[in-house]
Amino acid sequence: MSIIKTVDVKKWFGDFQALKGISMEVSEGEVLVICGPSGSGKSTFIRCINRLEQHQEGEIVVDGIELTNDLKNIEAIRSEVGMVFQSFNLFPHLTVMQNITLAPIWVRKKSRSESEEKAMELLERVGIPEQAQKFPGQLSGGQQQRVAIARALAMEPKIMLFDEPTSALDPEMIKEVLDAMKELAESGMTMIVVTHEMGFAKEVADRVMLFDDGLMVEENTPKEFFDNPKNERTKLFLSQIL
Amino acid sequence: MIRDNKFFIENPYGRWVRDNLFSSSSSAFLTFFAGFMVIYSYRGIVGFILNPERMWTSVTYNMKLYMILAYPDEAMIRVWLSVGLALLLGGLSIGFYNSGKTISLGGIFQKLFTISAVIALLIALAPTNTNVIQNDGSIEVVEIIPQDVRMLILGPSLVLTLAFFFLKNIKIKSLFNTAKVNLTYCGLIIASLYFIKIPTISLDSSGERIIPDPFLPIASTTYIPWTILYVGMLIFFFIGSLLKNRDIKIMARLIPIGWFLCPLFIFSWIFKKPLVELNTVFSADIPSILVFGIIGFLIIRFSDNQSLGAYRTPINIGFLVLSVVVFLLPVVFIFKATMVLLLLLLVVSPAIATTKEGKRQLFIVWVVSLFVLTFLIRGASSDTMLVTPTGSIFGGFSLTWLLAIFGTYASFPLGLALALGRTSTLPVIRIICTGIIEIVRSVPYITWLFFASVMLTVFLPSGVEFNLIIRVLILTAFFSGAYFAEYIRGGLQSIPKGQYEAANAIGMNPFQRIFLVIVPQALRAIIPTLVGSVITSFKDSSLVAIIGLFDILRIGTSVIPAQSQPVAFIGRNLEQLVFLSFFFWVFTFVFSRRSMKFEKRLGLGER
Ligand SMILES: Nc1ncnc2c1ncn2[C@@H]1O[C@H](COP(=O)(O)OP(=O)(O)OP(=O)(O)O)[C@@H](O)[C@H]1O
Ligand SMILES: [Mg+2]
Repeated sequence: MSIIKTVDVKKWFGDFQALKGISMEVSEGEVLVICGPSGSGKSTFIRCINRLEQHQEGEIVVDGIELTNDLKNIEAIRSEVGMVFQSFNLFPHLTVMQNITLAPIWVRKKSRSESEEKAMELLERVGIPEQAQKFPGQLSGGQQQRVAIARALAMEPKIMLFDEPTSALDPEMIKEVLDAMKELAESGMTMIVVTHEMGFAKEVADRVMLFDDGLMVEENTPKEFFDNPKNERTKLFLSQIL
Repeated sequence: MIRDNKFFIENPYGRWVRDNLFSSSSSAFLTFFAGFMVIYSYRGIVGFILNPERMWTSVTYNMKLYMILAYPDEAMIRVWLSVGLALLLGGLSIGFYNSGKTISLGGIFQKLFTISAVIALLIALAPTNTNVIQNDGSIEVVEIIPQDVRMLILGPSLVLTLAFFFLKNIKIKSLFNTAKVNLTYCGLIIASLYFIKIPTISLDSSGERIIPDPFLPIASTTYIPWTILYVGMLIFFFIGSLLKNRDIKIMARLIPIGWFLCPLFIFSWIFKKPLVELNTVFSADIPSILVFGIIGFLIIRFSDNQSLGAYRTPINIGFLVLSVVVFLLPVVFIFKATMVLLLLLLVVSPAIATTKEGKRQLFIVWVVSLFVLTFLIRGASSDTMLVTPTGSIFGGFSLTWLLAIFGTYASFPLGLALALGRTSTLPVIRIICTGIIEIVRSVPYITWLFFASVMLTVFLPSGVEFNLIIRVLILTAFFSGAYFAEYIRGGLQSIPKGQYEAANAIGMNPFQRIFLVIVPQALRAIIPTLVGSVITSFKDSSLVAIIGLFDILRIGTSVIPAQSQPVAFIGRNLEQLVFLSFFFWVFTFVFSRRSMKFEKRLGLGER
């Protein structure tokens, strides 16, 4: 049973076509890694899944709801789909605790105490319970990204999207974020991860995709993808990155 | 030479002096030049102030005139109640916010050291003589600070400076409660009213002026009120710390609300003494509270109803149209004002009233605000029972204050609304808001004041008449509102796109996104600018003197210099101007210092 299904999704920025027809499916609990050269449309694609970008042609169905301009559908899907950004995008005027509880209280309409309890659990899960009362500006990049993960998880999403979550981090902080993501994958979360961390892809992913120039050029199991790529583009990409 | 001197290398103070004042020959020149300029102007100012030509009694004698102009004597108690309300709230806040915080003895000595060092420096640098121009044009040199007086002040302050210098470095463990220290400062300020004596114009029983003026305490006529107020402040201070110790959290919200409502309550009820007729209360106020209470209840009860979703936009637009209609209809003002509040409720209700608990709280807030609003408007819109020769109970400082506070209160929400409107995606709203902002900003404030004083009456429908002060208030709200709007728009533009995306990604609706994520950050980014513009509007309020209102500046420049009874102050302009500059400076200085502290506290979350 697929939880995300896209059919021939096309997207233009003005005259420039960023997505040239992407069809794919993700089933529940699956971890999908998307990689590809810069400008190939990876971010654009996963941002279409929670409607931060609008696709112009094709069809995207998330958890049985089709993405249209209907505002109700969009808000419903956004609260089912968590997203973690390359630049964290935490709310700098709120403490870590407030960052995490904001959406549960205002969007999910939970009580404050219940949300705070849940937030503490999540902070423990990503390994920084002691930072709860600090402001984002007082944390390291790796800690901020883990707070961002906790913030997305607080909405109890069915799907998590990661757009290059470790690209803005210093090497020594990458591991702590990847560990948190690994733990999340093991807990059975459906995840789509755009990343250049090939180690993570090999170890955690169920499937790896390569995007190039707005098209999906290869889709494979990690083992096949790295050891025995079918497509010339993939070979070229892997030779550049490894 | 100097730079290589042992003192400047080994001693930490010497090193500071070398590094900061004489780090290069050009900076040494600048230091000397600036130092010379400062000392020169300081001596000039002291010479001016202590010049026997000056008649400072023209300021002190007229203090009441400055503060409240012609406010009737028999209602003086109301003035004291107004001041008292603010002081009591001040005592409560000091007690509540500062108790638990401590300051070390060293910190106190550090402050005392600075104060006594400054006093010593000031008295040492003060001039001995000043020039007095005689009637025949010749200049006579007059001694203003005799050597023995100088020594009498300089000696003890030097001794104290030295003593505090050593004391501040001693590591004493004991800590003092910041609240009590602050309260002591307040107490010292008020005590100085009793103990500092100044020459005071006094009349004997037959109405003759006693010459020379006897030295009396500053508060010679106001002993009793100040004493009562200070005692009241003390009591409220203890109540505040008690509440803090009991950890009553709701006070942290009630006190700011109290500060917000306090000026409104003062102006509409205490200071004003409104003439309230019981039958208008029964025929307008109580029905209004009942009707709007019920409408509010219905809105809160049903606003999150899912089946209503499709009708939400038509309902909102319907209410908007309805409130415009109500605004134009000749109904009691309370209905119009409450209509605006109702619109606000309509917008926030679907976001807040979603759980049973949320609904209950929102309903309580709604009923309380209905009562408060009706109460304030009843006071503000009723005629006053006080009779004054100028026809207005506001004059002097009370008018300045009124303009400043209402200017800020009204212009802030207006500015926020205009800024959000200008950045809106709906073209009609955007064009209207841009139009208002640009038109208001392209015309000077003085021109608008003249507009308010002479032209506005022409444009208003016949039968509608506002008094001049209200017209000026409306105008000021728009004028500063337009400027606020532009500052806020700048703040809104400084918010990175990622913040919008993050808010969207966690499923917030546009309303939540704007008011929980974007606006708080935008406002925080522009606090220094906003403080600057509040200060500007405080000072600019003195421009109303031009259109005939008696604000504090007009009293100083045209009323007092024309006084001949009971004491002649004719032509005493300079003293008034010096006093007024000092007066405005004190307020703006205190205000900007407070806001700096506030910024620091908020700055914690900066990236
Ligand atoms: N808002 C936009 N307006 C115009 N063009 C855009 C916009 N966003 C992305 N593009 C273009 O779309 C293409 C795909 O961009 P996208 O961000 O999806 O690439 P990416 O695969 O995520 O690259 P990277 O690895 O560098 O993040 C790029 O050529 C980019 O220039
Ligand atoms: Mg990208």
